[in-house]
Amino acid sequence: MSSPAMTTADASMARFEQQTTRYGSLTMTAGLILSLLGPIYLVFFTDLDISPSMIWVAFAAVAATFGIFWFVEPLTYFPILGSAAMYQAFMIGNISNKLLPAAIVAQSAINAKPGTRRGDLASVMAIGGAATVHLTSLLVFVGIFGSWLVSIIPNDMIEVARIYILPSLMGAVLVQAIVAMKQVRPTIVAIVLSLTMYFVVIPLVPSLALFGTALVVLFSIIVSWIVRDRKAVHTPVAD
Amino acid sequence: MHFPLAAGDPVSTDIWAVANSPFLWFCALGVFAVIFVQTILYVRAAKAAAPHVDMPVREVKEAFRAGAVASIGPSLSVVLVAIALLALFGTPAVLVRIGLIGSASTETASANLAAQSMGSMLGGDTYTQQVFAVAFMAMSLSGGMWMLCTLLLTPVLKRGGKSLAKRNPAAMALIPTAALLGAFSMLTIAEIPKSSIHMTLVLISAASMALFLFLAKVLQAKWLKEWALGFAILISITAGYLMHTA
Repeated sequence: MSSPAMTTADASMARFEQQTTRYGSLTMTAGLILSLLGPIYLVFFTDLDISPSMIWVAFAAVAATFGIFWFVEPLTYFPILGSAAMYQAFMIGNISNKLLPAAIVAQSAINAKPGTRRGDLASVMAIGGAATVHLTSLLVFVGIFGSWLVSIIPNDMIEVARIYILPSLMGAVLVQAIVAMKQVRPTIVAIVLSLTMYFVVIPLVPSLALFGTALVVLFSIIVSWIVRDRKAVHTPVAD
Repeated sequence: MHFPLAAGDPVSTDIWAVANSPFLWFCALGVFAVIFVQTILYVRAAKAAAPHVDMPVREVKEAFRAGAVASIGPSLSVVLVAIALLALFGTPAVLVRIGLIGSASTETASANLAAQSMGSMLGGDTYTQQVFAVAFMAMSLSGGMWMLCTLLLTPVLKRGGKSLAKRNPAAMALIPTAALLGAFSMLTIAEIPKSSIHMTLVLISAASMALFLFLAKVLQAKWLKEWALGFAILISITAGYLMHTA
């Protein structure tokens, strides 16, 4: 099991994980601080008469709705992203509508499966590529030309982009994910579970709507494991 | 260090007067710089590791390019939505909160909840500089909690994943695939009941992708696999535009 080639692979992946954990947590901490400095400046250094209670009440209102996602989203996306990409994804944002699709496209372009070493490296590179495009287009189209573009882009177009981008994206991404994974049983399990969740469980127990995606992810893992193809062979080093 | 106390007017509805202040620009550009630095460090680390796991440099570059190309469509849609929200939040807050870290739907909803907690609403006559600052603070704190949880949970999950990989490699091979398929089935199916146009667009987008992937295979056109997502989004959103304005 421990041929010299594998040891090199193990060692370099270990180094990769060590480096990305260090760089990732440092940059994310810096991003966290910078993202808070702006509003702190407005609240404390601008003459806006803001009392601490206003902030706490507003924060409580937001936390009551989204607080659960602070925990659930990292848990949901970790198995897909792997540890290195976690630090990228939760700082760059737009995870399900941009970063994950980019990672799937990249993995399928080089025929790598998620969770494998090649898959992890491919998604880190893909998120790097996506971040480069995204930061550049934001800086240029929003940062520099934003206030000019807002005056010339027809309202219709912005409305259509806002309302219809998700259905236009998700159908294609789901097909690409299914084709790239080539895993019949988990595909059927995932689709059946989603349909059940959306059309049976949530109408019966509406309060579960917030956890819908997380629950489907969890049960897709469990049920796919139960109905797995037991003839498939897996070596300890999955790649 | 001495900050000039900026002139704010709690009851003014001129949001841009405070929202576009130089210090906010400085912080927003700072977040951009941090992500650029992170990207460079990560790409370097991945390039160094790749050759040792049977991943030639060609594939590393291909993965970067594929990610870049695939994100053009989604990025432009984020740009369009961000532009629409400039009036509400000013450029720096839109860049950081909508463009990066969060997403348009989460952050707008957070800001609205915060505004409501002050008896106001986004964009109305009661949406003053004071309400904006509180909303910006609340959405930034909430976004900060996401990052904090990621920072705290990732090392724990990583240890869990490692020990699972040792004890049960078959499970480690299956979990990411099942999780990914589960997430995207649910995200897709959630779009279908929203309206008949939504349903049609999901089908158009899925069918376009199937067609492009089929063509890419038959014609052995690898580039088409990378561009397929962008084309599918373009076709589907154009159809959406036609149906919406019809």
